[in-house]
Amino acid sequence: MVRSFKQSKKSQTPSKHKKISTSLQDNIQESKQLFSYGVNKDFAMRTIQIHFNKKDACLFYYSSIVNGPMINLHVIKPLLERSGESVNNVVSIENIEEVDNFEKIIQNINSGKIILLIDGDDTAYAMDVADFAHRNISITENENTIKGPQEAFTESLNSNISLIRKQLHNNHLINEGVQTGERSKNEVNLVYIKDLVNEDILENVRSRLEQIATDNVRNIEILEQYIEERPYSLIPTVLYTEKPDKASSYLEDGFIILLMDSSSACLIVPVTFWSFFHSPEDRYLRFFYGNFTRAIRLFCFYLTLLISASYVAISNFHSEMIPPDLLLAITASRERVPFPLIVEVLIMEIAFELIREAGLRIPNPLGPTIGIVGALILGQAAVQANIISPIIVIVAALSGLSSFALADININFTVRLMRFIFILAAGAFGMLALTGAFLLFFMYAASIKSFGIPFFSPMSPHFLSSEDTVFRKPIKKEIFRPNYLHPKDVQKKSK
Amino acid sequence: MKKKLLIVLGFVILLAGCNDRIELEQQSYVIAIGIDNTDQKGVYAFTYQIANPEVGSSAIQSGPDEPPTEIVTVNGADILTATYTANSFVSKKITLDHTRIIIASEEAARSEDFLRVIQSASRTPQIRRGVQLVISKESATDFINNNEPIMEKRPHKYYQFMLSRANQTGIIPRATLHRFFQITEGDADLFLAIYATTDQSDEKKNERGFEDQYIAGEIPQIGGSPTQFMGSAVFKEGQMIDILNGEESRIAQTLDNTLEMGDYLATIPDPLMPEYRISYEYSQKQKPSININYHKDKPTEIDVKVHFQAEIIAIPSLIGYTQNKDKQKVLEESIIQRLEEKTNTLIKKSQEEYRSDPFYWSLYIRKHFKDVKSYEKADWHKKIYPNAKINVTYYIDKLEFGKMLDDSHLDEVRD
Repeated sequence: MVRSFKQSKKSQTPSKHKKISTSLQDNIQESKQLFSYGVNKDFAMRTIQIHFNKKDACLFYYSSIVNGPMINLHVIKPLLERSGESVNNVVSIENIEEVDNFEKIIQNINSGKIILLIDGDDTAYAMDVADFAHRNISITENENTIKGPQEAFTESLNSNISLIRKQLHNNHLINEGVQTGERSKNEVNLVYIKDLVNEDILENVRSRLEQIATDNVRNIEILEQYIEERPYSLIPTVLYTEKPDKASSYLEDGFIILLMDSSSACLIVPVTFWSFFHSPEDRYLRFFYGNFTRAIRLFCFYLTLLISASYVAISNFHSEMIPPDLLLAITASRERVPFPLIVEVLIMEIAFELIREAGLRIPNPLGPTIGIVGALILGQAAVQANIISPIIVIVAALSGLSSFALADININFTVRLMRFIFILAAGAFGMLALTGAFLLFFMYAASIKSFGIPFFSPMSPHFLSSEDTVFRKPIKKEIFRPNYLHPKDVQKKSK
Repeated sequence: MKKKLLIVLGFVILLAGCNDRIELEQQSYVIAIGIDNTDQKGVYAFTYQIANPEVGSSAIQSGPDEPPTEIVTVNGADILTATYTANSFVSKKITLDHTRIIIASEEAARSEDFLRVIQSASRTPQIRRGVQLVISKESATDFINNNEPIMEKRPHKYYQFMLSRANQTGIIPRATLHRFFQITEGDADLFLAIYATTDQSDEKKNERGFEDQYIAGEIPQIGGSPTQFMGSAVFKEGQMIDILNGEESRIAQTLDNTLEMGDYLATIPDPLMPEYRISYEYSQKQKPSININYHKDKPTEIDVKVHFQAEIIAIPSLIGYTQNKDKQKVLEESIIQRLEEKTNTLIKKSQEEYRSDPFYWSLYIRKHFKDVKSYEKADWHKKIYPNAKINVTYYIDKLEFGKMLDDSHLDEVRD
């Protein structure tokens, strides 16, 4: 079966590689067939007679992805009216490429170019008049900051690159295109600073992109799953962000950014735990303020990961650890609850996840109503109906609320899922199992590598760096780039 | 192979896990344990005071008739096994993790077998080493049953506040089980337990006592809870031998570097008008220095220096101490003299009567010995302490007179 699939694919390719013939009629026939002219409504063809050499010619393009007035003004009008020696001299389009086979023609038309075929000429001219529809640049919606740039990436490669170049005025900032996908040729753009980036890592990323053997990689979000090492791991190894300022700060340190035309975000590789833990605002805020938010975030990390599990472990196995006042209060409130404590905790945690998932999908006009109902049911009514005890509401709310402090969606999921494992471990053997499970989790995390970079570097293993891990130093004292990337220039500030 | 391992792991969790898991509401929390002798040797009456979680909880409205505690008494051989006997009429598992105090009747404490029964408390991990030992004049059952706090209905709060405040003022010592075993096993020094009673028979009232010269039960009292904590029970080698009153307990704690005591208020007769008493606040900013010169053949010298500060609170005699250096000198000397007098009386009593010290001073002589054997051979109880030459000196670092610069002049007020 597999072999027959492969063969059928191969049998298609010869027609794609077909060279352009000198006969315009043949070429038109071929193109019409390739693009299903007539059925395909937005595939347009226009025949003209060129003024300067009095030959017949034909223009092909997708009318939906090109700029119509631009074609009229800069392609058709000059060809019809102006005299000159070659197409290059007549047409006033910034970018003209000569192609000689139909595969290139397909690729060009798909990426919003117009193809000019001339009778008696076996090269075609591809002219860039692309105008894909996209949103304007808007403010960030998921990674909010109070202090700092508000612009977010949008679904347009040019805008995105422009947003990055706006922050890094550097002629070594390279934007390299790599084609992926077999049926739909999409371009992934590798952005890096040439005189900083480590060639081995860059080569590693390139080869992973080239190894993607699939028909279509639609966007960055899909790409992320194609290039990561461990798809079954709970721990992410690629950073996803919608903030150009975050991306450029990583570029400056020698990281590599991946962009695509169809996503309003970028990927940053390689990553460490700290990339997920940090927020760009930590650096925009002054030294103490930034470190204060880091401390809060670290505490939230602990709370969301372990508070429910600790509560289960302590109250089910180590009641002597609870101060008597609290102990008696919990006991009193639990006397009429029919479920074991761990079931209570699971009910609340799952209910919270439920509100969260449903809240995300609720159509905007219904949002507030459903939110109130959900909060009422879970908070007040469940307690009054003796289904759960009030303290569980506090615990679940704490762990739920703190999970939002970890803004990165990947690490957020990691923590939310690990939480359930910890709760079950705590329910099985108390603190012993909780400690064991946490230790195993920690050891596993330390073993993770992202594009060859250990997950907890530069803390462990230790590397020369700006020592921006849990806390950061004052900006003036940050001298080095992270040396775990082995950048070409490790010093970013003279001492 | 991996799958098999996973299945085995699953079974391990299912079969071995949750073994000692117990829900909070399936347990009864004992706050106080009472120990009494019975007619039978080796069998004791244990009283458990169990907290009712629903009383005082804002989340759950308890029935108005529910008492804050359930008190049960059962006979048994030791503290833990008796809890299982008690389960024939207590509905939940009795847990001793949150015990605050252990109360032993004076009768039980004075018996030779006391160590046998209290020893089991150190073996079980359920009873913390920080549990305080209280000796009650009456039987422990009566004590627990009669003890009716008026404001702090919930027993753990009552004991917590009562003991910590009384301990700050120095009228009772801090008497943890840990210290009890430490001193008893150390085979030197005396252990001071808290002395308390709910028995207020009128004929025993000590109407002539002053602020701290009482033992529990003697303090004339109107209103309030019937329970009095005052003074300390002296234990020698795990057996109670005597009672110290509040004042003596304070002195013992002053001289003991291992015990913490807050500031306290006391009075002395006015040196110039002895029918009135001057009140002062005694506060000690640094621990006393204790110096022991050990001599093998002649009496050991123990030299203790206590530095303290005094703030005068009241001078009912209206004598102008504040303005007169000479009078201040007299006052200072009389405070020191009185403290030294009281201290020497206590030391004398301990040397002659108890033949050991309640100050944990054996700690400072241990460095003079090469090993435990030679230390034991020197014998603190029998040879060193009773014969030691002890010299306690008080130094007053600061004498203050509060915020009043001068006292009212009686002759000017009444002209």
